[in-house]
Amino acid sequence: QASRNFASAAAGSNWISVASDASLQKARTWDDGVSSKFATTPIRDIFKDKKIVIFGLPGAFTGVCTSAHVPSYVRNIEKFKEKGVDSVICVSVNDPYVMNGWAEKLQAKDVIDFYGDFDGSFHKKLELTTDLSAALLGPRSQRWSAYVVDGDVKVLNVEKVPSEFQVSGGDVILGQI
Amino acid sequence: ISVGDVIPDATLSYFDENDDLKTVSVHSIIAAKKAVLFAVPGAFTPTCSLKHVPGFIERSGELKSKGVEEILCISVNDPFVMKAWSKTFAGNEHVKFLADGSGLYTKSLGLQLDLTDKGLGIRSKRYALLVDDLKVTVANIEAGGEFTVSGPDDILKAL
Repeated sequence: QASRNFASAAAGSNWISVASDASLQKARTWDDGVSSKFATTPIRDIFKDKKIVIFGLPGAFTGVCTSAHVPSYVRNIEKFKEKGVDSVICVSVNDPYVMNGWAEKLQAKDVIDFYGDFDGSFHKKLELTTDLSAALLGPRSQRWSAYVVDGDVKVLNVEKVPSEFQVSGGDVILGQI
Repeated sequence: ISVGDVIPDATLSYFDENDDLKTVSVHSIIAAKKAVLFAVPGAFTPTCSLKHVPGFIERSGELKSKGVEEILCISVNDPFVMKAWSKTFAGNEHVKFLADGSGLYTKSLGLQLDLTDKGLGIRSKRYALLVDDLKVTVANIEAGGEFTVSGPDDILKAL
């Protein structure tokens, strides 16, 4: 596990080209979905010409994700803005309605952007998937964080195991920008 | 699944009152009992949250008085999501929320619904079944996500 090759995701790669035909779905209510005709957001639109801090986690409503990971970004939002970050994004292999319910529960909806990678295709392109069937979650995302400028990955942090929370928090990446 | 079939068995998951993650076989819950199984396409989606689930919660007392011992709500979601969603319904005493995370049980019932274009993937049709000692006596299955025959009224009529 220590020498896993994150070739697709690694610092130096460009996610707009790596994940060019993937898309994510912004957290939304069903009504929002209907009125937007269930639109998806192309990866290019998220990253092009922007400075993005983005982090991925195994599952909405699960322990570390809820109690530690998301809060570490929410409390640092002003500091990220001061460093010129355009937006902070949380992504998970969940549908956008679950992400919306979770973002509301966390009272974080107006602070950071939540996106669902409902079929895992974004994480598959980045080779950041992991099998959490033992935890009854199925195929999910690793726990990770990245700083991406105009699609170029400047920083990428990936936990050795998804249950850990050592390198992927908001405090850590703030110091790396 | 149709009337007259023996309902298949499978393992579903949930969090118990101590917040421990548990798995359980469907048969072990409903064998030798009258049970209602109803399913929704997705936690945190509106018809499911605003109409389908509350209807069963409100009428659960009536269902119990007519001999229904178990009322199970099933969805193709993981147990963490099901737990969080179940907590959004105040005053629920009888409805058990069970997660068919892998969708395997829904598949065994032949009741999958492809909602990929809505961002949900393969989910469950909306339905309500009345099961008596593992034999399906009523099967009210919606064609899509609409909510016409799968509520508590049609089950109560049959009891």
